[in-house]
Amino acid sequence: MRVTRRGILLGAGATGGLILAWALTPRSFPPPLSAAEGEVAFDAWLKIGRDGVVTVAVPELEMGQGITTLIPQIVAQELGADWRQVAVEPAPVSGAYANAPLAARWSALWLPLLSGLADEPDDLLARRFAEGEPFTATADGTSLIAHEAAARAAAASARAMLAQAAADRWGVAWEECDAVDGHIVHAKRRLPFAQLVEEAAGFDAPDPPVLRPRPPGENPAEVLPGASLRFPRLDLPAKVDGSFNFAGDVRLPDMVYAAIRHGPIGDTRLGGYDTGQTRGVQGLLKLVNGPSWLAAVATDWWAAERALTLIAPRFAAQDRAGTAACEQALEEALRRGRASRIAESGEPDAWLSEKFEHVAHYRVAPALHATLETATATARLADGKLELWVATQAPQAARRAAAAALDIAVENVVLYPMPAGGSFDRRLEHDHVAEVAVIARQVGKPVQLIWSRWQEHVAGVPRTPARSVLAARTASDGTLVALKVRIAAPASFHEFGERLLEGKAPHAGRHAQLQGDAMTVEGAVPAYAIPHLVVEHVPAVIPLPTARMHGNAHGYTCFMVETFIDELAARARREPLSYRIAMLGHDVRLANCLQRAATLAEWNGGAAGSGQGLACHQMTVAGRTGRIALVAAARQDERGIRVDKLTAVADIGRVVNADIARQQIEGGLLFALGMARGSSTAYADGLPLTGRLGMLNLPQLADCPEIEVDFIAGDDDPFDPAELAVAVAAPAIANALFAAGSTRLRTLPLLAGSA
Amino acid sequence: MTRLTVNDRPLEFRMDPQTPLLWGLRSAANLTGTKYGCGSGDCGACMVLVDGAALRSCLITLGEAEGRVVTTIEGLSPDRSHPVQQALVAEQAIQCGFCTPGIAISAAALLARNADPTPEDIAAAVPNLCRCGVYPRLVRAIQRAGRVMRRLETISAAPAPGLTPEDAARAVPAMRGE
Repeated sequence: MRVTRRGILLGAGATGGLILAWALTPRSFPPPLSAAEGEVAFDAWLKIGRDGVVTVAVPELEMGQGITTLIPQIVAQELGADWRQVAVEPAPVSGAYANAPLAARWSALWLPLLSGLADEPDDLLARRFAEGEPFTATADGTSLIAHEAAARAAAASARAMLAQAAADRWGVAWEECDAVDGHIVHAKRRLPFAQLVEEAAGFDAPDPPVLRPRPPGENPAEVLPGASLRFPRLDLPAKVDGSFNFAGDVRLPDMVYAAIRHGPIGDTRLGGYDTGQTRGVQGLLKLVNGPSWLAAVATDWWAAERALTLIAPRFAAQDRAGTAACEQALEEALRRGRASRIAESGEPDAWLSEKFEHVAHYRVAPALHATLETATATARLADGKLELWVATQAPQAARRAAAAALDIAVENVVLYPMPAGGSFDRRLEHDHVAEVAVIARQVGKPVQLIWSRWQEHVAGVPRTPARSVLAARTASDGTLVALKVRIAAPASFHEFGERLLEGKAPHAGRHAQLQGDAMTVEGAVPAYAIPHLVVEHVPAVIPLPTARMHGNAHGYTCFMVETFIDELAARARREPLSYRIAMLGHDVRLANCLQRAATLAEWNGGAAGSGQGLACHQMTVAGRTGRIALVAAARQDERGIRVDKLTAVADIGRVVNADIARQQIEGGLLFALGMARGSSTAYADGLPLTGRLGMLNLPQLADCPEIEVDFIAGDDDPFDPAELAVAVAAPAIANALFAAGSTRLRTLPLLAGSA
Repeated sequence: MTRLTVNDRPLEFRMDPQTPLLWGLRSAANLTGTKYGCGSGDCGACMVLVDGAALRSCLITLGEAEGRVVTTIEGLSPDRSHPVQQALVAEQAIQCGFCTPGIAISAAALLARNADPTPEDIAAAVPNLCRCGVYPRLVRAIQRAGRVMRRLETISAAPAPGLTPEDAARAVPAMRGE
């Protein structure tokens, strides 16, 4: 092994030593990739073998969003590889994959008093924190923002070194060589990477790396639905024959299975239980007590689950969560609570003290993630080291949770990243990781813990409920002059931070609910030019812990704002599209999305009886902005809400993989359709009243609208489209239902108020 | 002891006959392609073919499956060659993949009795829940699989597993078989 001037790691079977990770970051890390015999590792991102396989490291959780294809595609295009020679492997936790932009975005969690110092995406403080933690979380659409440049730089460096090896053989200048389809080419000569890679290891990469003039990407207009794909997803063949392993599919010698019961939501302790009931359970091995849970371990999972059903352990629980108490706390906060002013412009105090022309109240119920895969983890404790097979969006937090549960050093927790069967931010939580660690120690064997669906509803922390009031001053022609948005909700983001970074249990983390929290009202500042505006967050302490969820606050703030705007347009007897466009003179790109969506959907003006509604939204993450507009065609019948068609137009800058971007928008729209129809539960006595998936009114194939997705081509750095789609669906559907003749719907789920 | 045929092999399960077939398959037979999502028949992630019919394996016991012929996703084809498998990959009607085995089984059962289904036929035959949102692609994928079954079309989107380096090198010039 040797380390070049540029510090790129080279060498077959290299162990030990340090790499100086990519040209962008002057810091060194232990090399995260181990190169096998016949392989050369380039930086933290790729290995090339003398068999021609290019293996790309992916440091983020694959949960369906396609990151296992996107990062390899970036490497392959920059390197000049043949897509068929590209392989992929999950990367271990390492500072070399620090997610600095997300650390900056979440700086209020780790630098609470001074977060203003570290909330720029390229901020040095945020990078230091992310590298030191190491903080490699997959969240908030930051994957490409965090990793594209580094992965590209590594691939460009590898290409230069391969070119130097070939040029040396041919006696030409390496700068005249190109890399195409896995070969270095010069005039009519070509050599595959496979034959060059070991020599390439002896050359230095230029500093800075010489990137291709065109960044990785595809023109979405050339990738029509159903067409053959240049970069098909790498994870799909294994997903279609049952061989793709999730955490619950891991099988270890001598492994046993665990099921679990948690107490009601609240300050809960495990009480008494009678083991006499379990005598007939074949295969039951052991019961394991936790502070607020009881686990059963057996030779198969169903036996463990059955034992717990028969035992029906009792719990002592104070401060139990209930919907009535949540509603009362939110109502009280909305009426009389002290607000944190999150955003303002113009002179809101002069304009927004009284005499509103229009006021509307909104109510948002808690939402369940309802991932198909329940919380699952596999663990083996041997010789003081814990091995963990688990899907997590925040791997270091998972390691810390396990280490704290066993009182061992975090270095003694080895995490094997597994993909998730859906997450929607559910895998930012790690209660099951701490539990499986304790169970593994008590049992003395490798163990696989699987939460039942009912446990997922009881102990899976939901997206926060909220109450809000929107109030407007309008000019005589109905034009919006001043807007006040006041949202009451617990400081859900800070509460989440208590669990993620402090390792608090859900109930204990609630102490952070009472503080101003910009993230909990994110998306409430409309995209429109409004002369006078104020957005307030009124914190409320509620008896229910709350969590992050796909779309996060945008999932309800965009609903409030965009249905309210529709009400204002209707009140002014103005057509909803032109009413919006009139306020978008400063944002031509969003106006363009709206107009394009209206054209594609054959927008009919949204008049009464038309059944068409629209909404638009923009989001900014780490300095990049994405935009979307959506036209919905919907109606209400005896079976509830029927959505016939959704037409989306997104402006997300450069599109890396067009079909994956389309998948992300389709998926975001359907996830939000689920939130518009259901995905929710009430609580009483600390328990959810909705215990089954089938009670959540989630859309099935028969409920799926026709979906059309179009992109506005652009060269800006890519923006992740998924959460844009989540934000915009519920308001467009609600507006369409109003246009179809329903009443104004101001609740989420939409029909929650009319039940 | 319960005896049944799983993926063309005779198996004897030394488990409580009340155990749902799902957990016999997963915990004992290590056929982990069949997924647990709810245990109550709501999600369809555990769908398997029982004597050719798509059934939720969480809702039938090993005892009830005695003597019957069960096909799981692992047994749908030896090499991903079932038209449904090829079409799901070709249309990228898969995201996280957790619901995919169950969807493939539902679709295969439908096409076995009707290789030219309408969108309504498909919606009725595929009750599976997918949270990632692959629904818009499913009708297209399953109709395309039907065309393959009717020999109107071929697809080679998902390669067979276990390619040797020599095979790979023959197909891809950048690879070197050794």
